Amino acid sequence: MAADASPPMGADDGLVGITIDGKSTRVPKGTLVTDVATELGIHIPIYCSHPKMDPVAVCRMCLVHVEKMPKLQPACATYAADGMVVDTQRADVTKTREGMLEFLLLNHPLDCPVCDRGGECDLQDFAFRYGPPSSRFPITDKRHLNKAVVLSDRIELDQERCILCWRCTRYYDEITGEKELVLQERGIHTLINTFDGQPLTSVFQGNLPEICPVGALTHRQYRFKARPWDLQRAKSVCPECSYGCNINVDTRDFEVRRFASRDNPQVDDMWLCDRGRYSAESWNNVDRVRRPAVRRDGTVRDVSVSEAISSAARSLREVLDSSGAGSIAVMGSAQNTNEELWLLQRLARDVLGTPHIDHQLESFPGIGPAEHALAIADVEECSAVVVLGAEPEHEAPVLTLRLRKAATKRGVSVYRIDHDAGADAIGELPAQGVIGVIADETHRDHAARLCAELGRSHDVRRLTITREVNGRGAKDVGALPNSGPGYAGVGAGGKAGREILEAAAAGAIRALVVMGGSLWADGAAELVARAAAKLDVLVVIDTRPGPLSRAATVLIPGHAYFEKAGTVTNTEGRVQRLRAALPPATQTPTETRVLSALAAELGAAGWPADPLHVHRELVAAIPAYGLAGNGGRADFLVAATA
Amino acid sequence: MAEHRLLTKDFGTEGLQTLAVYERLGGYQGLREAFQRFTPETLVDEVKTSGLRGRGGAGFPTGMKWGFLPKDVFPRYLCCNADESEPGCFKDRKLIDENPHQLIEGLLIAAYALQVNIAFIYIRGEYFDQRLLLERCVEEARAAGHIGNDIHGSGFSCDVIVHGGAGAYICGEETALIDSLEGYRGQPRLKPPFPAIKGLYGKPTVVNNVETLSNLPHIVQRGGAWFKSIGTEKSAGTRLFCCSGHINRPGTYEMAMGTPIRELLEEECGGMWKDRSLKAFQPGGGSMQVLLPQHLDLALDMDAVQQAGSSLGAGAMVFMDETTCMVNVSMRLVDFYHHESCGKCAPCREGTYFESDLMHRLEAGACTSEELNTLADICDNMNGKCFCPLGDTATWFVMSAYKAFRDEFEAHCGAGSCPVRSGTAQLVTA
Repeated sequence: MAADASPPMGADDGLVGITIDGKSTRVPKGTLVTDVATELGIHIPIYCSHPKMDPVAVCRMCLVHVEKMPKLQPACATYAADGMVVDTQRADVTKTREGMLEFLLLNHPLDCPVCDRGGECDLQDFAFRYGPPSSRFPITDKRHLNKAVVLSDRIELDQERCILCWRCTRYYDEITGEKELVLQERGIHTLINTFDGQPLTSVFQGNLPEICPVGALTHRQYRFKARPWDLQRAKSVCPECSYGCNINVDTRDFEVRRFASRDNPQVDDMWLCDRGRYSAESWNNVDRVRRPAVRRDGTVRDVSVSEAISSAARSLREVLDSSGAGSIAVMGSAQNTNEELWLLQRLARDVLGTPHIDHQLESFPGIGPAEHALAIADVEECSAVVVLGAEPEHEAPVLTLRLRKAATKRGVSVYRIDHDAGADAIGELPAQGVIGVIADETHRDHAARLCAELGRSHDVRRLTITREVNGRGAKDVGALPNSGPGYAGVGAGGKAGREILEAAAAGAIRALVVMGGSLWADGAAELVARAAAKLDVLVVIDTRPGPLSRAATVLIPGHAYFEKAGTVTNTEGRVQRLRAALPPATQTPTETRVLSALAAELGAAGWPADPLHVHRELVAAIPAYGLAGNGGRADFLVAATA
Repeated sequence: MAEHRLLTKDFGTEGLQTLAVYERLGGYQGLREAFQRFTPETLVDEVKTSGLRGRGGAGFPTGMKWGFLPKDVFPRYLCCNADESEPGCFKDRKLIDENPHQLIEGLLIAAYALQVNIAFIYIRGEYFDQRLLLERCVEEARAAGHIGNDIHGSGFSCDVIVHGGAGAYICGEETALIDSLEGYRGQPRLKPPFPAIKGLYGKPTVVNNVETLSNLPHIVQRGGAWFKSIGTEKSAGTRLFCCSGHINRPGTYEMAMGTPIRELLEEECGGMWKDRSLKAFQPGGGSMQVLLPQHLDLALDMDAVQQAGSSLGAGAMVFMDETTCMVNVSMRLVDFYHHESCGKCAPCREGTYFESDLMHRLEAGACTSEELNTLADICDNMNGKCFCPLGDTATWFVMSAYKAFRDEFEAHCGAGSCPVRSGTAQLVTA
């Protein structure tokens, strides 16, 4: 931003004019100097200040010269004022920076070569960029502290490495409100510890090592597992729930080492829950379906993937000819990508001609886009939010932090009521503004009734927390018996998940195509076994062995969540991209290619096969997805009026 | 001009610590007069007229501090800062020990002026007996109707709560005092907001020193203009000076502002002990810069001492004779700050550790002369860069001593032991 490009100072537009290192800009009143600097591309090193927390100004790294001020001022706690002139490069500023780094390194151990943080450590980076070349402090006089304090089963603290930036204690004070970490002792003896040595119990502990500017707080799961420069990083979405927190998947030697947060202010606000974060290593499970196989006359034989697809097509054709389309069913899962589910529902409706398609066992009567009208970030804009029962926050834990932020920083009234309570349990709601209602899928009916009740006097918007990472996408693209792509009507509709399996067990369904079913099959093993025993054809595309793969007549290995590209849609309808973080554990092509080839064998040629091409077809067919683009929110209510 | 007794005029009277004796000597008349003759607004104006400046160290005009409170925000709080912990400072303890009701009366007058209904006395943890005394006096005053609802029919109500600290120097800093009073770890808060806007429990708060408040009964009874006539133009009234060190009569002396320091030393303190000569003195307690014999003719006036490069601070005078090793004194003071640093900000926490390490090696004669530059450099990196003045002041004495007694510092380098105490260095270099 050039100095002459900004309007003159003193103009009355609610903005203030500020100049940093000769670059001028206008910013809203109340903007911190450090944020202005970032905007101007000027780097001010900071340890204590954190974009998601209030300033504390204890590390003194960001001291800058402000004209007319007698002393250097902390940029992290100084607000831009009209006509303010800041210098971050003067000799006294750079000397101070060097001095602060010398202080911070005084008692810091020289264990960078074995530190988890080495390579992505602010202390290392700033010392390299701004620090003195050596220490003037006698190494023999360094203070020594405990280097491995177990704070919980998840977090370990190296007290020597701690530079006392207060981020972790402020995180617990401001972000989660749990106040589990405290400062103990005084002066040079100050320590971070839990009160009375109690272990941490928060479900958001995993964020601590990430906000720690050095290697003091470490993940026990990741401790000494990798050096940052050995990690391969892929942008992805946390697979553990429907909230859709953005993550970086860090892998080494073809194994997932950790999930790191990837700040999306619209969704996670950079926080992950421990359930999601520490599920990382579960993706290294080697118990996988690896080779295509066909079962004929009781014997299972490994085959090539094309042979498996041909075999599946032949047997499906036989059932179609002998028993009709109504005897075939198709099931996906809520961990499939939108592209896979899109092709799967096309296979069911356009090729096989069956109405029996679903992605999970439970049915969803009366499904519609109105139950997803409230966006996650809009929780902060509501005047009040009503949460039904404990389930929404149990299923999508990071929602708790958004609710707390809304309540503490935006003054939103948050009411947590029993899921069967009525409007009278809420008390006096604010007269103005939007009222948000959040419920889980099990209590959809009740949420609908409550919304109708509140809707008589208020502007009410509802958010249903869907199940699994792509439970929402599966519904949007129409992997449902009672709703087509984009919630289009489907006439009489077909059987829902559990009904399909029951019908198979009763002999009414003769052939079943299942993709990714291990997600729900393990929990319904008995029903799956009864159905499989009666089915003539069971085509299974899956990653993990289980009751389905063991009973399959045709088995095709799938690509796991982190092994493929595609999109998933979170509970509020945000369409987010997955990028392959690991090579596939099988040589078979990815699911969209398998489905495209299967459709071709069944006579429907010309289907897109690559996830990107499938995505183009999908957005052309569902306008809300076209409007959402990459990372935007599919809003079917808006799309309908556009 | 000898000692000017205002706050200390009744000291020594038997039973002054009891309400009966205090009232017999005219006690609590100031409070009654405040109710009769002043509205809260005119009382604030009267204190502004008096020119009373804070006696805790910074010397900020009291009336102006009171004027910063936002008009319509209630409740407000008043805290008496009795966390006297400055090295060499013991005047607040004396004021409490000798005349506790004078403080309580002053506190109530301030509470009336500020429309405060709950006033706190935050007293240093180590002043255990004084805390018990104050608690007893507060009960006495409450029973007599000086504290409570509708005091003396004025319609003004105020309660007084005595709270003991846990022994931290930093809790004398007003925001740390507030944090400690709220039950948190005593550490300074980020300013702004200042306590006048957002202090105790997030409400407008005034924190005043014991001596400041003890002046109020006299200002109310005899008028701001009278008070202003004592002392100098910009430093009105008297001050209690805590004199210690190598002098014949250590103690607390109340002097009108503007009296030459020499008079305090020679007349009140009885001069240097053992017929030795003065080498240096510290005029404001452990935090302040060293002054030299040629500064003895300075007036006891906040601005005059400031111009000489030091400060009257909290009124502690530490006199050092010719046998004193300035490196040793610096080391002891640095150790104090190292011990008392709260640990909140990096330059104070780590800087005092570095400083202390260096000073110990210097005093033992184990430093190189190059390390003296390091000392000056780390002090420069601390001074003015710390979160609160504690870290800044940890450098003031040592740097002023280094400047004034450079030869002595250099004589320590590589000497293998303290050359002053082993008699190998010239004793007085300045």
